[in-house]
Amino acid sequence: MSGTLHDYYSRSHPDHDHAHDHEHEPPNPANEHDHGPPGEYEIMSRAMQELLEAKGIITAEQVRKRMEQFDEEFPYRGAQVVARAWVDAEFKKRLIADGRAACAEMGAVLEAERLIAVENTPEVHNVIVCTLCSCYPRALLGMPPTWYKSRNYRSRVVFEPRAVLREFGTVLPDSVTVRVHDSNADMRYLVVPMRPPCTEGWSEERLAGLISRDMLVGMTVPKVPD
Amino acid sequence: MKTIPSDIGGESAGPVDTVDHGMKYWERQANAFRSAVQITGLTCTDELRRAAEDLGECYKDMHYFEITTSAMRTVLLEKGVFTSQELQAKMAEIRARFNVPDEMESPLKQAVRK
Amino acid sequence: MKNAASLKSTYTSAPSHRYKVGDKVVVKRSFPPGHRRTPQYIRGKQGVIERICGAYPNPEELAYGFDGLPEKVLYRVRFAQNHVWSGYAGPAHDLIEMEIFEHWLEPAGAHS
Repeated sequence: MSGTLHDYYSRSHPDHDHAHDHEHEPPNPANEHDHGPPGEYEIMSRAMQELLEAKGIITAEQVRKRMEQFDEEFPYRGAQVVARAWVDAEFKKRLIADGRAACAEMGAVLEAERLIAVENTPEVHNVIVCTLCSCYPRALLGMPPTWYKSRNYRSRVVFEPRAVLREFGTVLPDSVTVRVHDSNADMRYLVVPMRPPCTEGWSEERLAGLISRDMLVGMTVPKVPD
Repeated sequence: MKTIPSDIGGESAGPVDTVDHGMKYWERQANAFRSAVQITGLTCTDELRRAAEDLGECYKDMHYFEITTSAMRTVLLEKGVFTSQELQAKMAEIRARFNVPDEMESPLKQAVRK
Repeated sequence: MKNAASLKSTYTSAPSHRYKVGDKVVVKRSFPPGHRRTPQYIRGKQGVIERICGAYPNPEELAYGFDGLPEKVLYRVRFAQNHVWSGYAGPAHDLIEMEIFEHWLEPAGAHS
């Protein structure tokens, strides 16, 4: 149970610095505790959780299991789905036609997400945003990066997507159509980037390693590292 | 013409901080809690979104997990899952758990107790 | 409410859909209070139906604890960026697309 004296002392230990870059990083397992005293909203969230557990509405185990899924399972699925689409053209067609059905084939049953997969081509580059809140296919990609939830991204990417793309180091010629999707209602979106050249014969696992969350919302594109 | 504080598409804003700053432990737990509650069907996404929008003027100064936590509180109070008094009492109990023992009195204790 | 079939597809059926893919539509220029999922920047803009997503309970009602029935048809609508933003800085073929509920749409040319 959280909140013992031990918890406070654990909170005093600085969490390890983890490298910041655009690329997807798995959550740092050393960040098991935050340092400093809990803020008002943390206390509020803990309080609500304990009240609901006491009332039998949820269990601590359910919350713990969900945390585990968000940390260890969800963040990797999107890249796996795209890697499959890269090696299997018929799967890619099915993915584009019906995202939820295609993910179910791979054992990723998306209970809440009505997934629409949009494909990058040499003519069209897709960008995803939720201007109204931060909708994101969480069961496929885990939690969104902080920039995706930020005011600056949500307000600007709809009217100046090319400028925002440049901030991520992605420059597209005017000949390519930039197609922005505002995820504003019931659907959730996944960008299927173009498979990079020089990856012939790669396994799905190796291909998935090229794919980060930034690419799956269209801010960057996959490349084979030099 | 904006009726909802979160309806910000098209507003001028500064450069995007393209670094992902990750989530603190409490945020990951709050997210899992919210997800677990949603699965029970007690709350729905639309109610939580609406409760966030109803934050009005405060919205723009709040961080993502402050917004989502506030919204959850609003909806659970509306549904009578707990009363405001019960929530305050539980929050006071949790604050007390984080008190530093006397011999290690620190200025942080005051901030927690505010 | 969820059944096994609904977990298998992104889409649901919408047999009573008013618009079909390719129809030109205009988003209502209306600013009602309360919970809406139609961003303010797209209201009054003209676009084209890109796909029919299905029929879903109305989020504007679900948001307040009502059942949102009868379901409303949801479409994806495609807009040219330079028709949405005056002074759009990119090329004329750039697009923006989003989901709009049927009650927020009118056929293009319906009003003067």
